[in-house]
Amino acid sequence: MSKYEYIPEPALVKGNHDFASLTKLVTDVNLRPTPKPWYAAMLLANAFLGVFLIAVGYLIWEGTGVWGLMNPVGWGWAIINFVWWVGIGHAGTLISAILFLFRQDWRTAINRFAEAMTIFAVICALMFPGIHVGRIWVIYWVFPIPNQMGMWPNFNSPLLWDVFAVSTYFTVSLLFWYVGLIPDLATLRDKATDKIRKFSYGLFALGWTGSNRAWWNYEKAYMILAGLATPLVLSVHTIVSFDFAVSMIPGWHTTIFPPYFVAGAIFSGFAMVLTLMIVARKIYGMEDIMTNDHMEKMNIIIMVTGSMVGFAYMMEFFIAWYSGVEYEKAIFILRATGPYAWAYWIMMTCNVLSPQFFWFKKLRTSVGFTFFISIVVNIGMWFERFVITVTSLANDYLPSSWDYYSPTIWDVLTYVGTFGIFFTLFLAFLRFLPMVAIAEIKAVLPQADPHNYDEETQEFHPHVVEVPQPKAETV
Amino acid sequence: MSEVTQNTYWKSLNELAQNQEYQKFVEREFPENATELNDGVSRRGFLRVMGASIALAGLAACRRPVQKILPYSKQPEDVVPGIPLHYATAMPFLGNLTGLVIENHEGRPTKVEGNELHPASQGNTNVYQQATMLEMYDPDRSKYPLKNGKKVSSNDFVVFAQEFFADQNKKVAFISEANSSPTYTALKEGALRKFRNSSWVTYEPFGENNAIEGNLIAFGRRLRTHYNYSNADIVVSLDDDFLAATHPNNVEYAKQVTGRRKVTSTKDSMNRIYAVENGFTLTGSYADHRLRVKASEISAFANALAGALSSRINGLNAFSSVNNKFTGEKFLTVLADDLASNAGRSAVSIGLAHSAQAHAVVSAINYALKNVGSTVNYKEVPSFDNQDNNKAFADVVAGMKAGKYDAVVIVGANPSLTAPADLDFAGALKNTSQVIHLGTYVDETAKQASWHVSRSHFLEAWGDGFSFGGARSVIQPQILPLHDSLSEIELLNVITYGEKVSGYELVQNTFKGYYGGNFENRWKDVLHDGVDILDGYKTASVRLSSSLKPASTSSVDGIEVVIRPDASVYDGRFANLGWLQELPDPMTKITWDNVALMSPHTAEELGVESEDLISVTVNGTSVEIPAWVQPGHADGSVTLTVGYGRTGIGRVADVTVDSSELLGGSETQGGVNTYPLRKNSGLFSAGSISSTGGTLKIACVQDHHSLEGRDMYRQSSLAHYLENPDYASFLKQHTYEVPGLEEAKEKGEEKPITLFDPQLYPDSEPQWGMAIDLNSCFGCGVCIIACQSENNIPVIGKKEVSRGREMHWIRNDRYYVGDVDSPQSVHQPVPCMHCELAPCEQVCPVAATTHSEDGMNQMTYNRCIGTRYCANNCPFKVRRFNFFNYPKEYLTTGDDPDIIQMAMNPEVTVRFRGVMEKCTYCVQRVNRAKIDSKIKNGTPRPEDGAVVTACQQACPADAIYFGDLTDENSEVSKMKRNERNYLMLEELNVRPRTSYIAKLTNPNPALVEETNQELAH
Repeated sequence: MSKYEYIPEPALVKGNHDFASLTKLVTDVNLRPTPKPWYAAMLLANAFLGVFLIAVGYLIWEGTGVWGLMNPVGWGWAIINFVWWVGIGHAGTLISAILFLFRQDWRTAINRFAEAMTIFAVICALMFPGIHVGRIWVIYWVFPIPNQMGMWPNFNSPLLWDVFAVSTYFTVSLLFWYVGLIPDLATLRDKATDKIRKFSYGLFALGWTGSNRAWWNYEKAYMILAGLATPLVLSVHTIVSFDFAVSMIPGWHTTIFPPYFVAGAIFSGFAMVLTLMIVARKIYGMEDIMTNDHMEKMNIIIMVTGSMVGFAYMMEFFIAWYSGVEYEKAIFILRATGPYAWAYWIMMTCNVLSPQFFWFKKLRTSVGFTFFISIVVNIGMWFERFVITVTSLANDYLPSSWDYYSPTIWDVLTYVGTFGIFFTLFLAFLRFLPMVAIAEIKAVLPQADPHNYDEETQEFHPHVVEVPQPKAETV
Repeated sequence: MSEVTQNTYWKSLNELAQNQEYQKFVEREFPENATELNDGVSRRGFLRVMGASIALAGLAACRRPVQKILPYSKQPEDVVPGIPLHYATAMPFLGNLTGLVIENHEGRPTKVEGNELHPASQGNTNVYQQATMLEMYDPDRSKYPLKNGKKVSSNDFVVFAQEFFADQNKKVAFISEANSSPTYTALKEGALRKFRNSSWVTYEPFGENNAIEGNLIAFGRRLRTHYNYSNADIVVSLDDDFLAATHPNNVEYAKQVTGRRKVTSTKDSMNRIYAVENGFTLTGSYADHRLRVKASEISAFANALAGALSSRINGLNAFSSVNNKFTGEKFLTVLADDLASNAGRSAVSIGLAHSAQAHAVVSAINYALKNVGSTVNYKEVPSFDNQDNNKAFADVVAGMKAGKYDAVVIVGANPSLTAPADLDFAGALKNTSQVIHLGTYVDETAKQASWHVSRSHFLEAWGDGFSFGGARSVIQPQILPLHDSLSEIELLNVITYGEKVSGYELVQNTFKGYYGGNFENRWKDVLHDGVDILDGYKTASVRLSSSLKPASTSSVDGIEVVIRPDASVYDGRFANLGWLQELPDPMTKITWDNVALMSPHTAEELGVESEDLISVTVNGTSVEIPAWVQPGHADGSVTLTVGYGRTGIGRVADVTVDSSELLGGSETQGGVNTYPLRKNSGLFSAGSISSTGGTLKIACVQDHHSLEGRDMYRQSSLAHYLENPDYASFLKQHTYEVPGLEEAKEKGEEKPITLFDPQLYPDSEPQWGMAIDLNSCFGCGVCIIACQSENNIPVIGKKEVSRGREMHWIRNDRYYVGDVDSPQSVHQPVPCMHCELAPCEQVCPVAATTHSEDGMNQMTYNRCIGTRYCANNCPFKVRRFNFFNYPKEYLTTGDDPDIIQMAMNPEVTVRFRGVMEKCTYCVQRVNRAKIDSKIKNGTPRPEDGAVVTACQQACPADAIYFGDLTDENSEVSKMKRNERNYLMLEELNVRPRTSYIAKLTNPNPALVEETNQELAH
């Protein structure tokens, strides 16, 4: 007997599902008649979407002045919301690309869902750079479009890098998501009974036949896109952080920003996935697929990234002191004790303290507690962006310029309105597309490994690997 | 060409007639009516009167004055469109003229500048003079005479006056503003001769009557005290804010006082300024030593000073027995020593509002110090009345109350608002059947008058007069009257002689009397120069009265309520000028409102904080006004300013509740009328304060008043400077060198290393730079208004200012240094620094802000998309964003459109919503000079001094230097070589082109420990 023993992972899909039952579980959501509560939820989401459209319409009609921005604080809620939504998007790509490359099979339960969240969050995020400028009608000048003025954008500007980074990220995420969807769209096409569904699922399934060649191409494409998306997870928020880090404002001009922003993004993204997952799996009865084990794994990631963020907060303070730059020192002291101390301590409580509860297994496996913390984390991450954006601008070099920023109702409505965009899209996704990657999840079932699966007993007996005893002289 | 473009520029009446709006106007029987005008704030109302106003403005724009006026210094063969002409004129304020030069674009005056030849200006101006341009174009100005509130024409008035004033036995009371005009004085004498039973009062709510009466006590004659601070080594101000625009001669005095503080090397000396005052004034903040005492104790201080001096110098024996709380105090003793040892080279002054007796004491001190003839001159002023005008005014009001007069003629003044409340002027006026009022606005007095006559603005009427010191000028109009108005001399001529004679003729007649045979040439000269003789007032030789006694004192034990003119709106006459309303108060930085200033200690005792509403009660009359804590204010004293809380004056002045949808929410704007608390007895009265519980949001542009130990403002005492000439350097301030400098020096470079490639500047181009001398700047804020006028900066209103969106391109930061009760206050003007490695340029995604070859950081409005990243990344926070379409509100729908548009500088773009803007170093002036130089000398490098920025031009302290840095002999290069020259935030290595010359103070060594300390109570 070897001293190394193979300990099988707990089953990723609970509840004795076979291939057919899984397919049915997932596709039923899309194929059965629309349930009434869905309409209610969609109506509510549309109402918020309406709020967004009104708020943006008013903004475009009257000018940026409807927001609370003013002289020292040129960026407020719009930029905070932008960074926050982009950050949320990160979890999806991390789950689908990085965990795929690391062969973390548990990702298959949530990757579709998380990727959809990514795309919708990035759409919400992209609203803000578009609308926050003073002259919205010439926003296209940020793109390097050849024009009669012979003017290129300023390639030195981090805002321009942002344009490229976020648009690339959005494109790759969308493609990755779509490629992953193709086999499932074909499944839906085959199961659909009415013409419209058959046609539209069929159209997007690109004539998928499930042939070996199709699978071969699919796997390659998926692998390549995962490879492309992986650096993007790191680059997007790095470049978003450059908006701040490349400037010379104390509290912004910090080299720690790229890793710290990425950690924060993953932190908030996982929290958002959990928030959505806990609700969705309950409503759609997907507890067998999105299990408490998934939740626990994600909670551990939240705990780790939360601690990284907390470490970054402390390093900021340390470096401010260690640098000896008085403006740098002043801004960090002002953050903790100044006019925005309330925001700072909300941030610290939500982001640093709250994830520490997940050291306790009981808490990280508790659905209710996880849901609560996932909300708290996203509040905390919103405040992190608030603290970074607003406090630095409000209290920079010359004390004569210092002023206190407060949002207006239109700032709030615009933010609230983006939830309308997000949930409108998300509800449509839940209704019309398979929320779980059916083809992929089947691959992690024991049945997918026919050599070690006993059809009759429905038991999985993994092959025991004999590892020879190492010989003393060779060690 | 589209119709719109055709209508944009009117060149002739015919062209204007094609304007549809004008045609509508012609078709209407009545262009506008009074009710529409009076229902001020609704936007619909504006739109209704808009059509008519376009027509009026259009007509006006074509009205070049028909009389011959001569260009000041540039005399082109013909008017070249786009090339402005400059004409000399002068602005009367409290009767005293300050010489101005007006920039005139094709017959449309747009910008006020100082007249270098005029002694009261010497090329510079104050805030009122800068803002007067807006006054002329104020769409709310009185546009036509009113008879009992109904629109009539000025000819109707002439017909009425001819008939009414034909009877020489009419008892007429004339109440006139101060006016030094010889033409006016002659007309006054004529009127008094004609109407034998009449009375004449010169009434100014904050005039110099007490100063004149003080000289009567001291010297037996009514004389003007005219200081010459150029000769003064020691300047003592007893509550006399002679540096502020509220003083009738502030530009000349500022020029003199700051001129004595120009330190270019360790060889130079400085004057020493002592200020004793209750509030924190500009003079107090500029002083080397400041003592805060209650206003009611100033006369006691003057007595004690005379008493202390009596043992040191001759001639003050009458004061040797003075013994009050100040006697023996260290501040007083040291001051007396300093004065005595600088006899003949010192100047003591006291605020105009203080009692005549106190003025007499100060005159005696100056006399005894042998300052007369050196630093102080007493002038005989022909326009002075031979009476105590305070008393005469009270008598006339009593007469009016008794129904003694057949008519009251009020020229310019607004006594229904400004007269001391205990006289009840408004009530007395009701007992006179014919009240004739000449005024710029349909103000409180105009509303009571049976005849209100619109007054011509001085920029549209002929006039004459003397400066405070006696320089004689002709007021030359820049444009034909915009409205159906009369000037003061035209009105008085109609009343006295029954004839409507043009002001031109009246003034010419006066000057024909002066010039005799050589009239034509000398007339041309006076129009060209703006001034003819400098000594129009004779200097009196004075002898101190032997019966002089110490001033009687009436100190207030409890809370004293001090009422002063406002820095922005003065006595209320400038209340409708948005530029002034939005100009931050030089000390409090408050815009749009008046407040009750009090010391932190008093506020604590009363249990109130800034913005808390308090009720101020004097003799049973109460006014509710927000409190404001003013560090450095005297305890037990509350200072109020007047001129606010108006109704029915104009859209800017009126108290309004702003609830426009554009801004959201509502906010009260317009301040509080504090005149009901003002008593005839003088400057201060005993009062009481109680908190009312409410609050009012105040739009203050600076929230943080401490330097936080940072080094953006650097100063030292003169003595320290002499030993450490480079005290202001980064090394001396920090004990270590600018980061990166040592590494750069190893590489043989002068400036700290940078990641960026410094821009290359071609040799052919000049390199612009600015230096601001903090030792000269006393914080008046005229640079802000001059910049606003030059660069078409919009007025945005209280709500927007209180949101922190002020648009001024140059701001004046005011910091307090030292303890909260009696701090030092310092002023620092901050325009764009035009950094060579500008952080704003790096971050703009569309390259809308870039560097020019002559080293300026430029803003391309057309390219700007409004990300505001540049403003965020500006360490100096000088960039301003058009959050709304401010110019649209300001120049079209929000106001009577074309009239106000005429005040705009055609050389500067009016910025649209959503773009960033900031100081351009007056690029339009720079480029004009470069083009001129290129034509004339073939080089784009103008001679030094050819480019004068608007802020530099206006500054009475000459604190701003601007020029070519590649020219080693330019003034700015010399200033930048000064060892006190430093860069703000130098360690950021953005390499600003604007630098500062560190401040120096000149404290008395004997008082160093005591600097700015309060006397123990």
